[in-house]
Amino acid sequence: MPHVLISSKKCTGCHMCELACSAYHEGAYRPSVARLYSECNPTTGAIRGHTCLQLACAKCQKVCPTGAIVTKEITLTIPGDFPAKEKVGEVVKGYVLVVDEDLCTNCGDCYEVCPTNVIHEHPDRHVAFKCDLCDGDPQCIAFCQNPHVLAVDLKIDKADRELQPAEAPA
Amino acid sequence: MDFYQGKVLRLDLSTSTSVVEPLNMEWAERYIGGKGLLLRYLWDEVPPQVDPWAPENPVILMTGPFAGTNVSTSSRLVVGCKSPQTGILNDSYVGGSFAPEMKFAGYDVIIIIGESPEPVVVTIKDDVVSFVPAKPKYWGMRTSEIEQALRDDFDPDAKTLSIGPAGENEILWACLSTDQFHKAGRGGHGALWGHKKLKAVAIRGTGSVSVGDARAFLADLLRIHSEYVLTEDNLWANEEGTPILAQVMSDAGVMPTRNWSSGTFDEVENINSDAFLKIRTRNRACYQCAIGCRQFHEIDGVTGEGPEYETIALCGGNCGIGDISALMKFNELCDQLGLDTISTGSVVGLAMDLTERGIKDFGMRFGETEGYLKAPGLLAAREGLGADLALGVRALAAKYGVPELAMEVKNMELPGYDPRGAFGMSLGYATSDRGGCHMRTYPIADEVVAGTVAPDTLDGKALKIVWGNPAEGMIGENFSAVKFAGIWCDFWAITPEQIAQLLKHVWKHEFSEGEVFRIGERIWNLGRLFNLREGVEPDTIPQKLYSEEGAHTTGASAGRFIGAETFEKALREFYQIRGWDENGVPSEAKLAEVGVDVRL
Repeated sequence: MPHVLISSKKCTGCHMCELACSAYHEGAYRPSVARLYSECNPTTGAIRGHTCLQLACAKCQKVCPTGAIVTKEITLTIPGDFPAKEKVGEVVKGYVLVVDEDLCTNCGDCYEVCPTNVIHEHPDRHVAFKCDLCDGDPQCIAFCQNPHVLAVDLKIDKADRELQPAEAPA
Repeated sequence: MDFYQGKVLRLDLSTSTSVVEPLNMEWAERYIGGKGLLLRYLWDEVPPQVDPWAPENPVILMTGPFAGTNVSTSSRLVVGCKSPQTGILNDSYVGGSFAPEMKFAGYDVIIIIGESPEPVVVTIKDDVVSFVPAKPKYWGMRTSEIEQALRDDFDPDAKTLSIGPAGENEILWACLSTDQFHKAGRGGHGALWGHKKLKAVAIRGTGSVSVGDARAFLADLLRIHSEYVLTEDNLWANEEGTPILAQVMSDAGVMPTRNWSSGTFDEVENINSDAFLKIRTRNRACYQCAIGCRQFHEIDGVTGEGPEYETIALCGGNCGIGDISALMKFNELCDQLGLDTISTGSVVGLAMDLTERGIKDFGMRFGETEGYLKAPGLLAAREGLGADLALGVRALAAKYGVPELAMEVKNMELPGYDPRGAFGMSLGYATSDRGGCHMRTYPIADEVVAGTVAPDTLDGKALKIVWGNPAEGMIGENFSAVKFAGIWCDFWAITPEQIAQLLKHVWKHEFSEGEVFRIGERIWNLGRLFNLREGVEPDTIPQKLYSEEGAHTTGASAGRFIGAETFEKALREFYQIRGWDENGVPSEAKLAEVGVDVRL
């Protein structure tokens, strides 16, 4: 199932992905409500990415008492127009987990169980918000542009697996 | 208004009060932001002829319109004041993530006035401003410690601008730090903060920056980044970074060596980019920067970003230090204490020179690491001979009767380009609006890096200093002024046409290349007026750097000299091109032409 990962080794901590994510979803730049984030320690240089694993995790969906986390089919085209970027233009079909705001009661159960800390109460709408892969046009991947440090991707490598919780179900 | 938040936060340290004022949008339209808007605010906020140490001398933190968006490299903050080091304007730039956080907290500008009776930390969470006692916990902390402490105590996502012990002790070139390794380095902002007893400003913002149609803006930025930012012209900064300049400058006879006694460093291969690539661990980026030039290095237990070329030149070659491990350690000490490395390397090099000449024994000699590594600590604490070092090169050299050994302009120590190897920089240093600085114009790009212009002549250089050649990467003063209004980083070799494309998003109308340049010229003239109002020293450089007697006897630039007459002629030509009189005063016609809205 497609989901975004941030490589802790490659990421430079530029936060371009968070900025683009918030601009796309909120209509203005507001990274405090981005749907993914890169946690960076400026002194040590250490980085840890936080992204939604979608159906590879689905803990939010399992715990939701009102069925507000719904599975949605999407067709995703890997964005970007920089030639060095791998897989640009590749079309991926799959599913993402999205919030049905009419059903969400903002009970907070999903906020508690999310292993990567990427589902929260929206500060204005007071319902849960989370990554929906920009409905197939993921801006985080588009804005991870430097050919030497491409870090936000759909690819899963060993370093990334180590970053994510071991108990994440397949 | 899109891109701007329309708000100025004014902090009064004397009364521990804050007030929010509207941003002057008329000034924003005329001067954009960053350097331009900073200078306009300084003109009104600095009482004419004020003592730089007086509580009335403000510190202004200024963002640009693109901070907090995806516009690459525009996360830079400019900090401004009347410098306690030079007595003239000081605009000091720093990357990292502080400026975007200011925007998300809702402010384009923060003006800090007054002087706190006791050491203080100011915390800002959106519209909540608190003045927190800095004693006993925070005062005395090193830069990494204060940042971590404020993340722990105030907000885990806080971005901090702070001083280290050097600032607390009012060392004239103490800097401001953010994200640990990023410094508003030059001109002594840290000293002024220390004098105002301001240890740090920590900020956290959860609001938004609007840009009109955000999705259309995102789409245009993807194009702009691919076409203009992530290109070969810029990616060198990610791949090798400024250490690449060490070998180039040494080979050209431009790298300050052993207190400016040569332009070629015989041990440069130990501290050039090949040497640093061997100890590179990873790249980091400033906020909203796709290039990611910040290189982490690790050796002998020292881990950190940098050093950049200027540090390699002044703290390496200029101190005769070819030991990469010692250089990394020295850089770390300066980072932690909050010292500008250019001025620190310069004054340590001078102390070594005084020792070698038998004039005064500072316990440090060229190439010896023991005394060298003690210097930053002694200096920052003004301990023992550190009190002498804290004088800066001008006063230190004068104290021991050898003023000719001090390499500074307007009391700001010179960076890593010896004009005897590339003549254009002589005029750049002399006419820089904040003293001895390489960031206002960079003729080195043509003279040395590209090698497209002869380095050993001043013919035609005045025109280039003023206007540059931005299409080919050479930045002139007018263009740097508008670029720093953006605020774009020098590592994006942006062109006037690309600036016009971005400004169109803000002001919704077309800008011609001429208009972009004119904004820069307007800003430069405003800066000149400010300096004239405050009383600026003559535009010149140390005699050694242009006289026949001062010519190098070793290295790649041996035997070259500009000559006093040639230098003065070029300066007159510079004033003429600028539309300034022989004393460097802008004419009324020029001020009206470029749209400066103040007069002396």
